[in-house]
Amino acid sequence: MTVREALTHPWLTVRTQIALGIFFVVAALPKIADPPSFAHMVYNYRLLPGPLVNLAALTMPWAELLMGIALICGIWRRTAAWLVGALLAVFIVAISINLLRGNAIDCGCFDVAAAGLSVEERFHEMWMVILRDVGMLLLVAQGLLGADRAEGDRSA
Amino acid sequence: MNLRRFLAEAGAIVGIAVACALVSNAFAGKERQLAIPGDYPNATKVTARPEARPLAAFVAEPPAPAAPAAAATLPDQEVPASGATPSRAPLPTPIATVPAAGRDVPPDPGSQSPSAELLGRFPVHGQPFVEITGEAAAWLHARGALFLDARRSKDFAQGHVAGARSFPVWESEVVRERVGELVAEGRDPSLPVVLYCSGGDCEDSHMLAQTLFGAGFENLLVYRDGYPDWVKRGGAVRTGGPA
Repeated sequence: MTVREALTHPWLTVRTQIALGIFFVVAALPKIADPPSFAHMVYNYRLLPGPLVNLAALTMPWAELLMGIALICGIWRRTAAWLVGALLAVFIVAISINLLRGNAIDCGCFDVAAAGLSVEERFHEMWMVILRDVGMLLLVAQGLLGADRAEGDRSA
Repeated sequence: MNLRRFLAEAGAIVGIAVACALVSNAFAGKERQLAIPGDYPNATKVTARPEARPLAAFVAEPPAPAAPAAAATLPDQEVPASGATPSRAPLPTPIATVPAAGRDVPPDPGSQSPSAELLGRFPVHGQPFVEITGEAAAWLHARGALFLDARRSKDFAQGHVAGARSFPVWESEVVRERVGELVAEGRDPSLPVVLYCSGGDCEDSHMLAQTLFGAGFENLLVYRDGYPDWVKRGGAVRTGGPA
């Protein structure tokens, strides 16, 4: 078995997608439970025009929840994986822009309450979030490659 | 993968998410509801760190009549450091100097009504807000100035400045209702109103000030260090829900 075959093995692919799905479901629930706090988090990024802040804060958690459920249940897996990848890329860009601007923020990824961190701690946390999101992007890539292989195996 | 199929599935996920979001928002309690579209005028502007903004020391006594009025500064309001860029851009920067009117003759606390005393020390400044220190906030509190708490309702219930009213700026529907009620009370809009949140880089009180300024209030004072400072100073606090 080659490295590529091992990395795209269906056993690994299924577990990766379930893990990714659980991540997104867990991330979505506190945001759905408390939209005003998440709107505050979205506002702190200083990227969206004012009229879109609340709409994004309401919609994004539900999208995360649906993508997570789709990955866990294996429904529309490839589409859900692509959307998750796109969302992670958006998060990485958004946090990077704020790092460049020197705007220390709580990421609001898994908790919508202010973490009470100092400015320096927040900057450190933002770097950690970027690293984590890049790691999750690798999981998405694995899932997509695994799905490609599964489709190839089925058509062979 | 078929692009058409991908777009259809992606559209379905996003469409269902938007529908769920709108329905859940429509049926949410007022404390969880968000206004669509949102109203955040400074949403894309990054503000300066609060610790970079100097505050003038609070002067407990008003200036003597002989003091040159033109150079007078409003006690305890933000004064940009010499040569420094005024901070908290893009929010309107408070003006450090005030017109002499109303300040030439210091008020005599023994002979004035509370309103006149408040206005004597904190005349209308014509800005959406000016920032004040904890010492100034304590002075205003002791003289019955209205305090508004811009933090979330749950934080207000856990503890707030005694006598303060809850105006949770992130609970759109609640704050809209309360601003309407405050306007309907027919308060003198020139009287000082103190707004506070959690201090540090919290901007909720500044956002509330923008809303109230738009509603006609002309003398809004943001207690920059907010509730944590009030507690640290040993100010009177209460717990429980909004009054």
